[in-house]
Amino acid sequence: MDLQYGRFEQILTQFLLKSIHIILDSRVPSTRPYSRCREVKKSDKWFNLALGDRPSALENLNFWHRNLTEPIIIDIILVQEPPNSSCGYSLLPTTSGLGTFTETVIERWVVQCEYLRTMTPQSSDVSYKKTYKKSIILLRSLFSMMRLLPAYKAFRKLSSTNQTCDFDINYKVSTFSVPFSRTEEELMKHYSFIPVDAQQGRFAISVTYRDNLSHFNLEASTSFPPEIITDYVGSPLTDPLRTFPSSLERRFHATPLLSRGMHSPSSVPFQRPHSWTSGLHRGVSSPQSQPLAGCPVLYRASYEVSSAISDTYGRKVQDCKSPAHYEAASSNDSYQLSPPFSPSPSPSPPAYLTSGNPVQTRFRSESAPVSIPHPIVGRSSRYISPNSSDPNRNSLPPLSPRFTKHDSSSQESPSGTRSLRKPDSLRSAESSCGMTYLGQKVSRDAKDDSGRFSGLLSSSDSPRVGFSRSSSRLSFQDDLDECDFSCPFIVDDVDTSESQANRNLDLRKGSEASSQAISSVRKSQDAAVGALVHMLRTAPPLRLDSSSYASGFEKSELESIAGAGSGFVLPRKTSDALEELKAYSEMKELLLCKSGSITSRAGSKDETSSS
Amino acid sequence: MNCEVCQLKELEVEHIEVREVLRCILHTILFHRALGLVRPKDVDLELFDITYVQCGDVEHEKKINEKIDHFIDRVEKHPNKKNQICLSFYEVKNKQATWFTNKVERHYWEQWYINLNTVQHPKTHSGKSHHPKVVVDPGETASEERNARRTALESSLREVLFQIIKFVNEKKDHVPPIPNLDGVSFPYEITISSSSDSAFGMDMLKRMLQTGHPTMLS
Repeated sequence: MDLQYGRFEQILTQFLLKSIHIILDSRVPSTRPYSRCREVKKSDKWFNLALGDRPSALENLNFWHRNLTEPIIIDIILVQEPPNSSCGYSLLPTTSGLGTFTETVIERWVVQCEYLRTMTPQSSDVSYKKTYKKSIILLRSLFSMMRLLPAYKAFRKLSSTNQTCDFDINYKVSTFSVPFSRTEEELMKHYSFIPVDAQQGRFAISVTYRDNLSHFNLEASTSFPPEIITDYVGSPLTDPLRTFPSSLERRFHATPLLSRGMHSPSSVPFQRPHSWTSGLHRGVSSPQSQPLAGCPVLYRASYEVSSAISDTYGRKVQDCKSPAHYEAASSNDSYQLSPPFSPSPSPSPPAYLTSGNPVQTRFRSESAPVSIPHPIVGRSSRYISPNSSDPNRNSLPPLSPRFTKHDSSSQESPSGTRSLRKPDSLRSAESSCGMTYLGQKVSRDAKDDSGRFSGLLSSSDSPRVGFSRSSSRLSFQDDLDECDFSCPFIVDDVDTSESQANRNLDLRKGSEASSQAISSVRKSQDAAVGALVHMLRTAPPLRLDSSSYASGFEKSELESIAGAGSGFVLPRKTSDALEELKAYSEMKELLLCKSGSITSRAGSKDETSSS
Repeated sequence: MNCEVCQLKELEVEHIEVREVLRCILHTILFHRALGLVRPKDVDLELFDITYVQCGDVEHEKKINEKIDHFIDRVEKHPNKKNQICLSFYEVKNKQATWFTNKVERHYWEQWYINLNTVQHPKTHSGKSHHPKVVVDPGETASEERNARRTALESSLREVLFQIIKFVNEKKDHVPPIPNLDGVSFPYEITISSSSDSAFGMDMLKRMLQTGHPTMLS
């Protein structure tokens, strides 16, 4: 009986995971490329539907969803800036218009196991096989349905890489939900998949969705052409001491999510446990949190200004982050579970959990609230705020990405789920803050972030630029400083009078029309050349043979005498003294050789005369 | 084991739309019946704003394309007719060999009937207008009509896909045990028939009642 229940529980757990995976993969844009050539992992073979890497946050589903009787509710939320006009959807009671954007639940998915008190007696050997087979069919139809509902178009627009959108899609996964109002219900339709009978209940999936999204005017426009910004801070063409323009500073101080979250009437239930969100709210106890600036206007504007940089930045971070992150996630892949894929005529039975008694672990009453943020994707406006109700929030490693590079402990932490995403605006603004070595830094920090924030939901694996990045602008500066010192041709590193003189000389010789940045580059090159020339000039002369040495010695001696007579004394350095000593030793050896040869000749003559 | 039959809603399609419509419907059905390990592949239709899912099996995609080509050839030869494509799933049961026959019995457990009414609308209207003072551009009218038809067809196609999902969800008990195969796990066949065939209706009835003989009426 325990064996059968274990199988049932295993199927149920994987069913929930696969359902959430399908829903989020079809609604939340992901920058994670799915390679069709890659071997299907064991965990991905469940229900014979290979979807690719599962979001790492789903690995923690067992952690916060202890009671399998509780439904899992996934809200798909449309985030949009309300129009300036007074009329429009922003006045609809369905939206929680806070600040400068509105949020509308366009889909609500409910995945659950409906437990029944009485079950018809069935052969235990057949029941879980049939359940598994029917679950396969159910999940196939769920996968197809995701593409037929209206929200799929919005998802495709967001996922399009060559389009910028004036909206965003977020999600919220929880075990509870705020009921829809009557007005909302009138605008929505409902569809329930036929439940699948299981040993202890029925696997059920249902959806309440907005049938018509046309009034949201989900616009997507082609992206702006790459704009080359020549005067960003840190560029060799600009003054290194250039300050931020006031517009960027204003953006950094946009309305924080904290206030929005706190004032939102719908935020109260969000603070309850058993939920993770994509950053719709912030914890109460984090007033000092960085203003992540979730305003869509912010993202759009910043993207327009520094589209070229942010594109490169975002893409590089994404590319660097994805493999690193999913390697970390997959390392903790299905610790006990194994999907049924054994060769058998019937659906392969799932392996039973042999390590420990899963029953007791499942029905633990307490559960830690977990906040799993939603990753930021490309150009879409996203906003994430940490859930302060997460007690494990403080267990995260320190913020600086440089020092968390090898912090592997946070990777597999089941509580490592703090919403630490930063909107694209802040990231792009930082990227315009003087990142001469941005490419290397971004990739390095991206890997740090991926290793650190493995708890973040990664279905839409955008660059994770959470708190560490937003608060580590100083660390960025430190990085730059260190890199400056490590680079041999930067002017600041060559702190000698000669290099300074050469630099001044080169500056005088250089073009007056060239900018200071170009001159600084030239300075570094000229400085190096000048240093080399100086070294050659001040190097002691080479003394190749004794004759030349002797003549040179005599010459130098005469010079020194003359110099001494004239009162002019040449400065002597250690190198000179060593050279002279070397010359003396060579002379000595030469003399010894000569004397030795004379002695030998004299000896041989004596011998011959005596013989 | 009974044979579940699903008659899909009839669609009125133009010749240029046949391929896309058929690929969409056939692959959607196959995806729900390919219960082996699959890597789903999203495919966007070009003529319609619809995305359907393929099971990603190249061999079966090729097989379906061949059948569609065959159907299109038939339609071009006999336009403006109602056609029916039947996608049947069966189990193979070896009958006891006799002296003269060694039949392999097929037991059909599910049949899908795709009903297409292929039409060919004239491209342009005739020149004369009843109101000579009113200048009517026949090209625009035809284009508008085509757009309206296409929009209606898209809506109908979407209804057909919903119909497939609904049927797949409602009927699960008749599905045989899944063999340990990747991709398409159950053997199937695609047959084509049209209203011009003399035994069109009889053949359909015959196949619905039949449990033994394999039928190939293409």
